[in-house]
Amino acid sequence: MLAVALCGVMTACVNDDTDFSDIIAEYQVEPESIELDFTALSEAPDVPVTDENDSAYNDYVENTSWNKVMYIDFNGSSATVTGSVGGVAVSTSGAHVVVTNLSGPVKFVVSGATNDGSIKFYGDKRFQLLLNGADITNPHGAAINNQGSKSMYVVLADGTANTLRDGSNYTVVDEEDQKAALFSEGQIIFSGKGQLNVYAIGRGGIRSDDYVRIRPGVNIYVNSTALDGLRANDGIIVDGGVVNVETTGNGAKGVRSGGVMKVNGGRMIAIADGDTRIETDEAGLVDTTACAALYCDTLVTVNAGILKFKATGDGGKGLNAKHNVVINGGKFMSVAMGTNKLKKAKGMKIDGNLAINGGYTYSYSRQSDPLDVAGNTSVAPGYTTYKLSVKVLTISY
Amino acid sequence: MARSKRNQIAALLLLITILIPTSLHADDAGLVVSAEASYKISKKWNAGFETEFRSRNNFRTADRVSLGPSLSYKVLPWLKASVSYNLLIDNNREKITYQDDEVSYNNWRPSYWGLRHRFNVSLTASYKIQRVEVSLRERWQYTYRPSKMIDNFDFDEGIWEDHEVRGKGKNVLRSRLQLEWDIPKCKFDPYASVEFHTTRDLEKTRFIVGVNHSIKKKHNFNLYYRYQLSGSSSDEPNIHLLGLGYTFKF
Repeated sequence: MLAVALCGVMTACVNDDTDFSDIIAEYQVEPESIELDFTALSEAPDVPVTDENDSAYNDYVENTSWNKVMYIDFNGSSATVTGSVGGVAVSTSGAHVVVTNLSGPVKFVVSGATNDGSIKFYGDKRFQLLLNGADITNPHGAAINNQGSKSMYVVLADGTANTLRDGSNYTVVDEEDQKAALFSEGQIIFSGKGQLNVYAIGRGGIRSDDYVRIRPGVNIYVNSTALDGLRANDGIIVDGGVVNVETTGNGAKGVRSGGVMKVNGGRMIAIADGDTRIETDEAGLVDTTACAALYCDTLVTVNAGILKFKATGDGGKGLNAKHNVVINGGKFMSVAMGTNKLKKAKGMKIDGNLAINGGYTYSYSRQSDPLDVAGNTSVAPGYTTYKLSVKVLTISY
Repeated sequence: MARSKRNQIAALLLLITILIPTSLHADDAGLVVSAEASYKISKKWNAGFETEFRSRNNFRTADRVSLGPSLSYKVLPWLKASVSYNLLIDNNREKITYQDDEVSYNNWRPSYWGLRHRFNVSLTASYKIQRVEVSLRERWQYTYRPSKMIDNFDFDEGIWEDHEVRGKGKNVLRSRLQLEWDIPKCKFDPYASVEFHTTRDLEKTRFIVGVNHSIKKKHNFNLYYRYQLSGSSSDEPNIHLLGLGYTFKF
């Protein structure tokens, strides 16, 4: 009897819990790392479109003759404007420069530094803004503000570093928008092989009420503690270049496109660190807006390039797409690290359809779904990896 | 005559061995091993100290270790009063909750070891009818579980969370009716009992059959089979227990 008792005691050492180890391991898998990356990117030569009938023809600064040139040089509290172009009026107040361009294509070469300056453009004529080592801070609003509706070619001179900063409080000007440290009512087309750093503490970082095109060679960094990092109302086209965006404002989006977003190359990394924004309107109704590293109102098409998006705050989504998403190639990574207190922190939230035809697609959510597609999800045959777990989606070709 | 009695004991043990395996597949099974030291202070007073081990999960998992002193007093020749305290060290079973769809997991609290303090006050009335002793024991049992922080896995969030098992006390009335046979010239005394554990509802019912065996009145061995039927409000499964007890009397 003693032996039975001893055996009974000694052998009762098995845990009788349900084995959730595999499931929990799936839940606790760590995401692939997404961090800002400023290293240069090896890119194919950027060949301008030469067909005038091509809709992108006018997006190439090379396709315009820039015979008319003016120079704006900042020096602390003043700005010196040199060059004279008929039909272009320039006024200065300290280091605040106002240009009214009724002439046609004009190239403005900007250099120097100011802690209280800006450039504002009027006139519906396209122009080139060649940033040649400019460092502009405007404590009262946008550092560069284009009120014209035509293209602003922002060319980053080879090897230069350029910095734009806004202020925490924008001076209101009647019937004028100034929505970001670098703002344009018209298109913004970035080119060149220089660097642009944009720091926004009052409103957004870079914003166009039209579309934004980013060409190979540029290196752009946007840091916004207030609103969206890079935003365009009518679309974003990324042909190349290195773009790093980080935002910390609640409800802010790293990259936001109101129109079609098309990626053909380059490397874009956006990290949104804010939490869900809570707003109460006059009627007392509470509205909540979650962050997203990438937010698109219409179609997103990825043909090539490296795209990495990460949201870390409560309810923040790696990708929040209101329409369809098509991934034909490249590398698309979307990560949500946040909690679900007010909104669900999903890796990819797509209200339309998702079509994956090639490339590498990765999505992760620490506490919610890696993939939430309201419409249909189609994955073309030929993939080498197709894995969907509670936390991770991985599809590669 | 002696052969007949041995046959009765054998039949009882056979019943035990038949009952356990026939129900094992549906219910849980385990072992109860206990050891007690008992000291007779006087004709009326008796003190003891008992330790017990229990297993579950078909004998493979430790369920409880307990220990504690007891004191009894013979109020009348047929009435005994006793008090006891037990420190219970429980291996609390895991708890899984589900979403509204009753399929998807919601939370998982793994099994954990925790302490409880138990106090018993009992009155036992005995009456002998020829060689059968009939006893009725009424026991008030109060158990206090201190609060404890444990890990809880939240499947919604996919994270481990700290979860507080709150401290609480519980009162149970235990009523046991037992019959014990004193078989002449037989060293084995078979017995059978049924016990009801009642709170607001009937929480569990225990059916026990067993035998006591004494050697020189100092060593007492107890072998029994207990079937514990859980009430509808209980999370615990029904369980078959094989009990082995030893008491040393000073």
